[in-house]
Amino acid sequence: MITLLKNAKVYDPAHGVDGVKKDIYIRNGHIIAKPSKTEKIHEAMDLSGKVVMAGAIDMHSHIGGGKVNIARMMLPEYQETLKYADPEAHVCGPQCAHNATPSTIVTGMHYIEMGYTAAFEPAVLGINARQAHLEMGDTPMIDKGGYAMLGNDDYFLRLLANKADQKAINDYVAWTLNATQTIGIKVVNPGGINAFKFNQRRLDLDENNKHYAVSPRQILKSLSRAVHDIGVAKPLHVHCNNLGVAGNFQTTLDTMGASDGIPMHLTHIQFHSYGAEGDKKFSSAAAEIAEAINNNKHITADVGQILFGQTVTASGDNMMQHLNAGFANPKKSVIMDIECDAGCGVVPFKYRDENYVNAMQWAIGLEIFLSVEDPWRVFLTTDHPNGAPFTSYPHLIRLLMDKSFRDEAFDKLNLDAQAMSNLKAIEREYSLYEIATMTRAGAAKLIGMDNQGHLGEGAAANITVYTEQSDKEAMFGKPDYVFKDGELVVKHGEVVKVVWGKTHTAKPAYDKSVEKNLKEYFEKYHTIQLDNYKISDDEMAADGRNSVINHTKAAG
Amino acid sequence: MQKSNNINTTTATCPACGMLCDDINVSDPSANTCAKSISFFSQPITESSPTIAGKPVSLDEAVAKAASILKDAQHPIFAGLSTDLSGFRAAFNSAQQVNAPMMHINAESTWRNTKVLQSKGWQTTTLMEVKNRADVILCIGTDVVSHNPRFFERNVWNKEALFTNPQTRNIIYLGGEGLDTSHGVSPNGKQPTVLPCATKALPEITAALRALIQGKTLNTDSITGIAVKDLETVVTQLKEASYAVLIWVAKDFSFAHAELTIENITESVVTLNKESRAMALALGGSDGDTTVNYAHTWLSALAPEEHDLKQYDTVVWINSFSPEKPLPTTDAPIIAIGNSQTQFVTPPAVFIPVATPALDCAGTLFRVDSSIVLPLKQTRESALPTLSTVMNKMDALLT
Repeated sequence: MITLLKNAKVYDPAHGVDGVKKDIYIRNGHIIAKPSKTEKIHEAMDLSGKVVMAGAIDMHSHIGGGKVNIARMMLPEYQETLKYADPEAHVCGPQCAHNATPSTIVTGMHYIEMGYTAAFEPAVLGINARQAHLEMGDTPMIDKGGYAMLGNDDYFLRLLANKADQKAINDYVAWTLNATQTIGIKVVNPGGINAFKFNQRRLDLDENNKHYAVSPRQILKSLSRAVHDIGVAKPLHVHCNNLGVAGNFQTTLDTMGASDGIPMHLTHIQFHSYGAEGDKKFSSAAAEIAEAINNNKHITADVGQILFGQTVTASGDNMMQHLNAGFANPKKSVIMDIECDAGCGVVPFKYRDENYVNAMQWAIGLEIFLSVEDPWRVFLTTDHPNGAPFTSYPHLIRLLMDKSFRDEAFDKLNLDAQAMSNLKAIEREYSLYEIATMTRAGAAKLIGMDNQGHLGEGAAANITVYTEQSDKEAMFGKPDYVFKDGELVVKHGEVVKVVWGKTHTAKPAYDKSVEKNLKEYFEKYHTIQLDNYKISDDEMAADGRNSVINHTKAAG
Repeated sequence: MQKSNNINTTTATCPACGMLCDDINVSDPSANTCAKSISFFSQPITESSPTIAGKPVSLDEAVAKAASILKDAQHPIFAGLSTDLSGFRAAFNSAQQVNAPMMHINAESTWRNTKVLQSKGWQTTTLMEVKNRADVILCIGTDVVSHNPRFFERNVWNKEALFTNPQTRNIIYLGGEGLDTSHGVSPNGKQPTVLPCATKALPEITAALRALIQGKTLNTDSITGIAVKDLETVVTQLKEASYAVLIWVAKDFSFAHAELTIENITESVVTLNKESRAMALALGGSDGDTTVNYAHTWLSALAPEEHDLKQYDTVVWINSFSPEKPLPTTDAPIIAIGNSQTQFVTPPAVFIPVATPALDCAGTLFRVDSSIVLPLKQTRESALPTLSTVMNKMDALLT
């Protein structure tokens, strides 16, 4: 069966297509080349006047695993009971609270209603991977994937402290990706979560973890090398040391140099772009950070924009979350040490535009977006839910595309912050092509998914159809149609069919003998057996809905 | 998400308490060291037919009757919920169909903890951190082993640890009644510190502990029979610890406003963490309570609450794991779905025997310390339907 979408105004940066009128053919869930005249077109939709992009990809969003569920549990006052039964009837309208931590069901619904067809959980603790996949498995409509956290686990730090050779590290990293069904590797506050367990309260890039006598720089070097060597496309996902600290931009700049030119992705970089200038000793270092990204071609970044309102911050970085717990609003928080693997910190937060620091954070994020020249190397995130819920993406897109709208918002900021920011001097407005790059083509390329994020032959038919409007928030908030793997699942903002999506993974090869030492370590120190740590493809698919896609290229 | 069945397995995960030991020898259950586990894996297969008012019927007849009762109900509730993840998910779907709230058999005790989480939050750890780091372990109002028999065997008196010498751990029991403190004696004979006081005195003694940790002075020599200087020694040990762990079991806190006692413990930890390292840890757990708490939360965005069963006109009672636990006392009709060995004083309106996860079918459970989720294996042949199968059949009749 062939479906034809005709006369669409297509934005497909992977193929350099910038608002060109084109026809798109879909068969068996994929986009195909124009069929021969003899082949029957079963269904044709005229999309004259509509803007068409691939389904959007959120490359960093906390949607699965312990942290967000703790946030849900801790904050009943920000939840509303939504009827789960009959998700087909779900409409995202004014009755929906766009709260920070909706249920998995509502999460999937909100994503697809905004034209997103995939989201990636960036902080999967290996020991908690099963929970992360269970939650993502209960998230309908979209594809999912995760980045496994390493670099604070005692197994890795022992390898590093014992000067294990790079091959041993590589095998452990590749084994971890396989065992946890993830597609990338993340490091959070390299070595810091672990150091906090030894009562260290801060860790700079060249400061040693007291117990292991290894530094964050060594961790970054070793892990970025491993990810590169084993052939995983997604560069090491780095949450730098010193999150949220005034003056931390220097750590961030130094971190860019820690991998000797091997690709690294610096995540939610807004939280790591702070200077310590001015009366309040808190200033924007967005210009320095953006310039460094522009000059360092091996670096990519997502922004982690904050937007004003109530949210909750959920991070693996329990060292810094413990430090920030005093700012909790409302006044409660959860800090955890987890299973000699990592930790987590969940701190509710309310960003206010009249607050100097919050206003600066807002401006810093936008300054970075607008000062990084290459939209292929910067990604649209709010670090959901840490900077703002993902449901605020349409608003964020308007801030990027509409200078007068941005200026109006700026004029409402804390006056001291207005005086300290040069945001208003930046004239740039993102184009639709650049938005499509950042949210589709670039994200798919970064994660290493050849068949996602574009509209060329062979791509999964994940397609979003918008009505072009001058109000970009309205345009991106409610697409006319969304196709998921070729099926029409959203019509005029309403979900018309429930689908469950797949799990994207990378399963690089490794020397199987790595399990010999791991088994011994598990038997001595763990509380579960090695076999119970690993998650098989069959287990992933046991709910009858999910399936696993392996994006690893064949060796050689 | 379940691992494929492997009935020939010799090692399996035990759901008999919240600790989910995954080293259980199922080919010879009597070789295990835990009575709860032996009892769980030794339970016989009872050939048990579904019943309506005590009379045997077919599965389809029983499901049809259950669906018709539910359709007539104005205020039904799904309770018990002693099951694993996939069973719970199926029950959740059915409950949503009839707008029924859900309450676990352990709701009264788990809700004590949830109230603290929702009021103040907490700072907690997991078993592997205890096993490898803890040098001071303070058990408050509990011996732990009444709930988690192998806690000390597996996590305290282990031969090796990454960062501490297990033999020299300092074990302290503070308060509680009828405790078995023998497990707190180290293998080389080091005795634990035992500071006894009645369970009902726990609010007072934990408030004193919290005050001392905060640096306050108490104008008395003794509280609830415990010398303040002994309590001060405990505080010093907690502050000097490399990694102190403060443990409680909510089920052992059967007194009014137990959440305030738990808050005394968790806020003591918050204060300790300003200078040194300490963490809280709630243990106990049974009947898949942690699993139900977590899955209910991600599926609905809210933690399950405690309800008064008497306010509901129909009770769907799910109990796969603990046949010895009685049906709730209520005048409302009960649709009981659970372990084939369940005995009734008065037969429920409908009874449907189902497979028990870890015996008759595979499954998935959360460990009591959260974060860790383990697969359960099928360990014997069984023809019993799973809870999911029964719920799906019922759903088809409810729509």
